[in-house]
Amino acid sequence: MSQLRSRARQSTSDEALVRALYEEHGRALLAYATRLTGDRAAAEDVVQETLIRAWRHPEVLTNGKGSVRGWLLTVTRNIVTDRYRAKASRPTEVAEVSETAAAPSVQRDHAEQIVDSMVLMEALDQLSPDHRDVLVEIYYRGHTVTETAGRLGIPEGTVKSRAHYALKALREKYARRPGGTPARLQEVVV
Amino acid sequence: MSSAQDGFAELLAPYVLGALDEDDQREVDAHAASCDECRKELAELREMEAMLGTVPPEAFLDGPPDDADLLLQRTLRQVRDERTADRRRRSLTLGAAVAASAAAVFLGGYLAGGGSSDSQAAPAPPPTTTGAPVTATPPAGVRAVSATDPVTGARLTLRMTPAAGWVRLNAAVTGIPAGERCRLVVVDRSGHREVAGSWVVGRAPSGGGKGADLDGSAATAAQDIASVAVENDHGKTYVSASV
Ligand SMILES: [Zn+2]
Repeated sequence: MSQLRSRARQSTSDEALVRALYEEHGRALLAYATRLTGDRAAAEDVVQETLIRAWRHPEVLTNGKGSVRGWLLTVTRNIVTDRYRAKASRPTEVAEVSETAAAPSVQRDHAEQIVDSMVLMEALDQLSPDHRDVLVEIYYRGHTVTETAGRLGIPEGTVKSRAHYALKALREKYARRPGGTPARLQEVVV
Repeated sequence: MSSAQDGFAELLAPYVLGALDEDDQREVDAHAASCDECRKELAELREMEAMLGTVPPEAFLDGPPDDADLLLQRTLRQVRDERTADRRRRSLTLGAAVAASAAAVFLGGYLAGGGSSDSQAAPAPPPTTTGAPVTATPPAGVRAVSATDPVTGARLTLRMTPAAGWVRLNAAVTGIPAGERCRLVVVDRSGHREVAGSWVVGRAPSGGGKGADLDGSAATAAQDIASVAVENDHGKTYVSASV
């Protein structure tokens, strides 16, 4: 009886886990996969596969939110890359992402990319929201200092100093990463 | 002069991030041409900027996706299906192992008791462990007991074969989370403990802990054994069977 109960509890917690991942990261994953594949239906398949892989590797989910996000995004990209590699034409955006954004990582294997991405996302997640917002506006949304000041309602001088601080802090956190791959992270690579 | 002192420090990051207007850009260019500090700083910031490129802009979106409930439902269904398949596989192998040992084993209906050890401070609800009597023809002296801990859900099915002053044990252990470092502990009537074996719980494809089937031995005479327990390396008792 208690076994039956514990099975029921287990399957409930499995579903709760997947649901929680979906609630927290679903938008980011689906938007990313949609851009990479250029196809909403294909993107949903990729996200489904990403969530399933996370569910099979619950040890990943004990890391911080940023690490989890980094792991999920990298898994998403790897799934897209693997699926489209088989096809003659890879979507341009995949090529763009791997070649412009992560030039050195093209030669590296998936494993190291995942760890890098986890470490960097974790560092980003640890920035204060004020600093992260400035970085996101400027770097990831491509806005100028003036535009960012307008969008966030802060003086241009503040935008500049926050961008400066954010990048420096990130470098600090990222540089603190020990020489090799952290053992704990290595285990979670799929 | 350090870059922090010369007033350019705050321009360097926006410069590297490509957010400065042309006037400011030119100013930084001109200054960096003659300032080693700022050039060095720029080089370091550029490295970091390159790293940022490995994170896609979508990384900063939060919450669930819009209009994707079907995606969630499909994923949940796949989880359920894979769990069921995994459980079927597991119960097949485990069931076979238990049946095999039960056939060779005498069991008079030992009711196991004591789900948690006394050393545990936590006031757990009184464990009412259920025993599973199995009827079979016994080779002389071989005994089997089985216990399920109602709190942890762990289950131990044990077969003990007496030797001259010591005992051979075969244990099937299920219901323990993956990654736990476990040991099979034999406790005799005077409270003396012998570790009969240890293992690390593997991970089932579902993510739960794998069942373990292991053989061990202890320098305790079979007739002196009071109980056999499964503990982790911090002394937590998952399940204990009275003998
Ligand atoms: Zn300078």
